[in-house]
Amino acid sequence: MDCPQIRDAFLNGVAPAEEQVKPHLAGCSQCRELFEQGAELGRNLAAQTRVVLPAAADDFFAEIEGKLARETGPRAWLRSRPSLLRLSFVLLPLLLVLGAGGLLWPRADLEQYPLPRVAALLCVYFLAILLAFGKELSEAPRRDAFRDYLGLLAFALGVPILAAFAPATEVSRQAAAGGALACFGYGALLTLPIAALLWAFDRDDRPSLRTACLSTAALGLSANLLLELHCGNGNAVHVLLGHASLGVAWLAAWAVSWRLSRG
Amino acid sequence: MAAYIAGDKPAFRELFQRYTPLLQRAMARDLKSLEEANDLVQQTFLHLHRSRLDFEPGRKLKPWIFTIALNLKREYFRRNKRRRETSLEDDRVAEPFEGPRGQERSDAAREMARALELLPAEHREVIELHWFGGLSFPEVAEVVGSTVSAVKVRAHRGYVALRARLGDAAPDPESSHEGKPSVEGSK
Repeated sequence: MDCPQIRDAFLNGVAPAEEQVKPHLAGCSQCRELFEQGAELGRNLAAQTRVVLPAAADDFFAEIEGKLARETGPRAWLRSRPSLLRLSFVLLPLLLVLGAGGLLWPRADLEQYPLPRVAALLCVYFLAILLAFGKELSEAPRRDAFRDYLGLLAFALGVPILAAFAPATEVSRQAAAGGALACFGYGALLTLPIAALLWAFDRDDRPSLRTACLSTAALGLSANLLLELHCGNGNAVHVLLGHASLGVAWLAAWAVSWRLSRG
Repeated sequence: MAAYIAGDKPAFRELFQRYTPLLQRAMARDLKSLEEANDLVQQTFLHLHRSRLDFEPGRKLKPWIFTIALNLKREYFRRNKRRRETSLEDDRVAEPFEGPRGQERSDAAREMARALELLPAEHREVIELHWFGGLSFPEVAEVVGSTVSAVKVRAHRGYVALRARLGDAAPDPESSHEGKPSVEGSK
């Protein structure tokens, strides 16, 4: 006998005979617990499992069928695509925007920084973005560890703040704080289509705290990555107001949306 | 599931009939009311429909459905800030969902339900999926995103705690003969 067979025997109202289960119990500590004290625990758990619930109302299936029938239109099509495809659809515009921004409006002082530093920065940003988008769009078991999401969110909000105080070129550091609003607008505008895609791909009907953390992290990091490639102003006040604030702004937007969804 | 993905609508009814009782049992125990449980069961099927193209042919459907259900249930508790662990503080442990026609359940069943409710979430989850969801331990491991050995350790710890709690709650034969309050009553 194995664990499910022992469980099923209890459910059928018959505690298996000791000789029958002895070989299994010798190597299975959890099943041994079921048989302690006259198999009290096994019988009690079986009794709990056998509690009969009232049958679902007749219209229960019709309600679900009705909801499924309303699953039509572009959003229904988009959110039912396989997860890998949804992830690709979100990353593709980001890569296009990064590429276009980097080529068309490159940061003037980028070549003054050592290549390994630039490469490492891009990798850290991109891996964190990939992790946040991947977790958000995945159907994998979601561990009940909210700190995982909060950790990613803290990283996304913290890295741009640290960037404000990172070593920069002399010209960059001595630049005026002005232009923060323009940078904020640039970052927000370019990440807006990605936010719209995330919303379209989200399979939940109501925004969740998990989605808020992961989406905010991904969008905040994406906006800051775009600005890292675009803006050469290293003035700490400018970076804090124009760049780092984007993550906070996306968090506020999600908080409002979440609050509204709760009524 | 393959038939459903291919567009066979009656296949969905079959899935519904097969899995609804299991999902209801798994949900109702935590949610205290059948309406809330049914709402989550509906969401599970809706989510199953939306993620049907993620289902890999040849994979077992039961752990897949329970993964969706468990994700939704966790999100529900997070959203409503009604995790059962909070009930530990004020000792107001609500009764689990009642049987048909509001029938009284035996004291033993109540004690068992209460003991289950007081287990740490990670232990309770494994036991509930194994017993009430009818999943094997490898399937439970798939649902909670852990290893089989870790799941078995959690089940073992949960069983030990349950036995200890049931032992504590059992009325003392001597004191009950003398009309003294039981251990449970004195707590």
